[in-house]
Amino acid sequence: MTLNIVLVKRVLAIGLGAALALLLLPAPVFSQEISWSLKNDPGTFDPAMVDEQAAEMVRFLTGGVLLRLNRTTQQVEPALAATWTVSPDGKLITFHLRDHLRFSDGAPLSSADVVFSLKRALSPQAPVSEEFLDAKNVTVDAPDALTVRVHLPKRVVGIGKIFDEIAIEPANRPSQGRVTSGSFFVADYKNGEYVRLARNPNYWRHDAKGVQLPYLASIKLDILKNRDQDELRFLRGQYQLIESVPPDNFSALAQKAPRAVHDLGPSLNTEQMWFNQSPAAPLPAFEKAWFTSKNFRNAVSLTLRRADIARIAYSGHATPANGFVSPANKLWYNQSLPPVRENINTALTALAQDGFRKNGATLVDREGHPVTFSLLTNAGNHARERTASLIQQDLAAVGIKVNVVTLDFPALIDRLMHKQDYEAALLGLTNVEPDPGSMMNVWLSSSPNHQWNPSEKTPATPWEAEIDRLMNAQDSAASDAERKRSTDRVQQIVADQQPFIYLVYPNALYAVSPTLSNAYLTVLQPGIISNIDYIRAGAK
Amino acid sequence: MRLIAASILLVLTLTACIVMVRAPFHYDQQDRDNISIGATHEHLTGTDDLGRDRTLRLAGALLLGLLGAAAASAIAGGLAVSAGLSAAFAPNWLGRTILYLSDVALTLPWLFLLMMVRSSLPLNLAPIHSATLTFLLLGLLGWPAFVRANHARARTLRASSWLMQGRAAGLKPLQLGRQLLPHLAPLLLTQFLIYIPVCIVAEANLGAMGLGISEPLPSWGSMLLALQNSALTANTHWIYLPIALLVFVLLLLEMLLVEVKS
Amino acid sequence: MKRLAGAALRLLRVASLVLLAVLGTMALLRFAPGYFSDAREMDAEHASVVREQLQSQQQREASFPAMVAGQLHSWMHGDLGRSRQFDAPVSSLLHDRIRTSARLLAGGILSGWLLALIFALPLSLRRGSGGEIWIALPVALLLAIPAGAMATACIMANTGGPMFVLAAIIAVRDFKLVYSLLRNISSAPQFLYARAQGFSTARIVREHLLPSLPGELLALAMTSFVLALSAVVPIEVVFDTPGLGQLAWDAAMNRDMPVLLAVTLLLAIGIGVAALFADSRSNTAEATCA
Repeated sequence: MTLNIVLVKRVLAIGLGAALALLLLPAPVFSQEISWSLKNDPGTFDPAMVDEQAAEMVRFLTGGVLLRLNRTTQQVEPALAATWTVSPDGKLITFHLRDHLRFSDGAPLSSADVVFSLKRALSPQAPVSEEFLDAKNVTVDAPDALTVRVHLPKRVVGIGKIFDEIAIEPANRPSQGRVTSGSFFVADYKNGEYVRLARNPNYWRHDAKGVQLPYLASIKLDILKNRDQDELRFLRGQYQLIESVPPDNFSALAQKAPRAVHDLGPSLNTEQMWFNQSPAAPLPAFEKAWFTSKNFRNAVSLTLRRADIARIAYSGHATPANGFVSPANKLWYNQSLPPVRENINTALTALAQDGFRKNGATLVDREGHPVTFSLLTNAGNHARERTASLIQQDLAAVGIKVNVVTLDFPALIDRLMHKQDYEAALLGLTNVEPDPGSMMNVWLSSSPNHQWNPSEKTPATPWEAEIDRLMNAQDSAASDAERKRSTDRVQQIVADQQPFIYLVYPNALYAVSPTLSNAYLTVLQPGIISNIDYIRAGAK
Repeated sequence: MRLIAASILLVLTLTACIVMVRAPFHYDQQDRDNISIGATHEHLTGTDDLGRDRTLRLAGALLLGLLGAAAASAIAGGLAVSAGLSAAFAPNWLGRTILYLSDVALTLPWLFLLMMVRSSLPLNLAPIHSATLTFLLLGLLGWPAFVRANHARARTLRASSWLMQGRAAGLKPLQLGRQLLPHLAPLLLTQFLIYIPVCIVAEANLGAMGLGISEPLPSWGSMLLALQNSALTANTHWIYLPIALLVFVLLLLEMLLVEVKS
Repeated sequence: MKRLAGAALRLLRVASLVLLAVLGTMALLRFAPGYFSDAREMDAEHASVVREQLQSQQQREASFPAMVAGQLHSWMHGDLGRSRQFDAPVSSLLHDRIRTSARLLAGGILSGWLLALIFALPLSLRRGSGGEIWIALPVALLLAIPAGAMATACIMANTGGPMFVLAAIIAVRDFKLVYSLLRNISSAPQFLYARAQGFSTARIVREHLLPSLPGELLALAMTSFVLALSAVVPIEVVFDTPGLGQLAWDAAMNRDMPVLLAVTLLLAIGIGVAALFADSRSNTAEATCA
């Protein structure tokens, strides 16, 4: 009898010991899955047709690329291509592929696949083709199985970065991300629910010890439309990271999970307001006169208290702005631009120069019209809605009455881009690319994205003509120093003329579970998972 | 019971009016050094996320929201009962047509009509006009949901013996109507009560489309919608005041309106 | 013959309701601001491709009658179209989400009835009729809380899910009917008489209450169904449930015509059929009374 009890106790002890050992051992590699949320379903899984954030995220994780932009150092590094060279005139790029490359389904990867994928990326429907400037006349050939040559008709500045966005797929059988040469491939997709990515067993990269990457077995991207749930699920451990934490929730998370939250300082994005300067706008002439007046715009800019916007609307997680290039963009930020300090007296002086005067508590123009305008913004962004209220109050101090109107996005776009039926607008710009070349479409006066006066046939003002000249110059400049000079000058003109009144640079806010290791945080998108190959999950 | 409820409601409304009139600052004044604080000497129930006094804004929201929602609810109820009564007492074909139209109205996405209304109005519409228009539209669009219930009740009443006697005795429709209304009252009052918070919340949702009560007017619905957000971040319990007040006001209205069979 | 004519007329009613709903939706969506806009137009890098797509769409759908004809034509051929935001066939989207929503609706309605029964039973069995107000007040209060608010409250309190909220909404609204039904057993004259005669409650329920139940239950089912349909959209949106309600809301926000039309079609059929039952039932009731 006693022997039996002893035996039972022994077995129990061994069992418990084994269980404890299993629990305490680090989770074995290749069996871990991490999860986070996407705001919406990826618009497409075809890497050549990616044109929005969720699809870009999936492409980053699954697409094997010739060259990878290191988000920390901002330098281009070889990936599928072992080496690459650019001819001195910039018109010939040669890639030498690594040996023994395979796709996730085992098929070999050769130059034929690269040529096929590059040609798809150069087709006019592919968003990335625009970056080649003259994609029609770009030719690609493969002299042998491991070499690919790209012939450009015109030199393209920063050509290496473009290849970071072109995924190499199997020739003649594009698979919508199911067969890839990147870290993961799309294993499962349920519309509205999730995208599951599984580890590519034939990924080319190995770590220093020769272990094949990635360490993670799979990634589950939940489609979460109702963003309020993101924090709750992160705190519960369902998600291991939050890609961009809304500023309000950051403080709450900081209280509940202090080790998990990170504020990296200003991001590349900007929040700005601007006035409608389009001659086609259905506005009365006297209002158009206000908005096209440099003194008026500068006065408005000097009245706004940016520090309050950063402190109150963004709960301190934003930095007052003075231009379209954020200080996080170290290569291109104009250091000599002074910060904008609010000064009501200077503002009133500027207004007086244009004939504005105070009539009691209201500001009136020289014809006696009270200065009032509507400020259009989108609903659903708490920080922006608060910014609008703060602007409303700030401008009331000089006698300007502002009407805040929040619209849903399609109606907003319709007014801003198609009908130009608005007075002032408050929106943010997401800058994924630090290079000013990516902003050509905003600054060229002929562009439909030249927000304050789209698609100008000829530049409406001398300073817009100057910006056109400078932006074209930086696009074809021979040296980086020249490009910097041109871009600095554009920043100066914008600061003088204030076509966009820049308010703040929202900070890059992330939440990362302490159970993840090797997650490098960068301001450049995709902020947390740029080091996805090396990320490990497991108890710390 | 009813008297108590009515008097508390009256006191509440009067207090709100007094607060609005006698407060030392304006309802949209931002005390930017005191954001999201709890009760202090200066701000009795604290401030919101823009430093505006909570008591003042809630008082304004109460008056504006209650007035607007009650008006919208009354309009919707009035339309619904007229449609229901007409459908019940009119010739069969007319009755069926009215019900048919209410079914069509139920399936259409009126959201887009509201967007069209907004886009046809000037952007510089004063906040108070936008608020009035929103509640008017909510009233005009709310009737289809209630028609069938009113119709069913009216039909039951039509078949009741006393009404048949009345008709046989030669009472005119208007006189019949006066006899009918007390019997319809419980249903009407319940519908009126249900629709008020629906209007308050709907107004806030319509704010996302350019209608609703726009800044800087205080909106009860927006305070409720913002609750989920501020519950995460704020460290004072006063943020729950808008919802507590709503529950309290609804309770008072119920005690006033809902008939209890003894 | 008359029956056949009646049936045909009823079918025609449903069909015309569906047609009107579809036409109305198309008109409202097409002429609402922002139909030919897309958020991606603001993205300076990708805007040109999107702009071309929108321009070709604008040319195709310039005339409203042509648009309607085109849509009806493709429906006749069983093609529900392709979703603008998901770049997937509408039929496959509906197929996945119908199951989710149907499960939510069925579970919510049944649980709601059960909840109503659980609360109504002990309350209806009590002696005397005093204190009715303590039942009426909480019920009226719960009635007044909109579906979306209840869903949000559940999320904040970290309890309950979509089915719980739907069940609560149905339960509160059906509580009154269930309560009065059960109360009748104890206090209606015919039942009092039967009890005085010595019949057991079980026998009374079996012989007097149950026969009249089907009619009442049908009424309950219809009102619950229509109610659940209207509550399902805010519930799915707040809880992020991938059902038809969330799809409809997204389609409306993104002006996705094919999806919104398909959902309106389903909704109109549902409401049309429910209306059919309501009308037929009230007709028979009238016939019985007259």
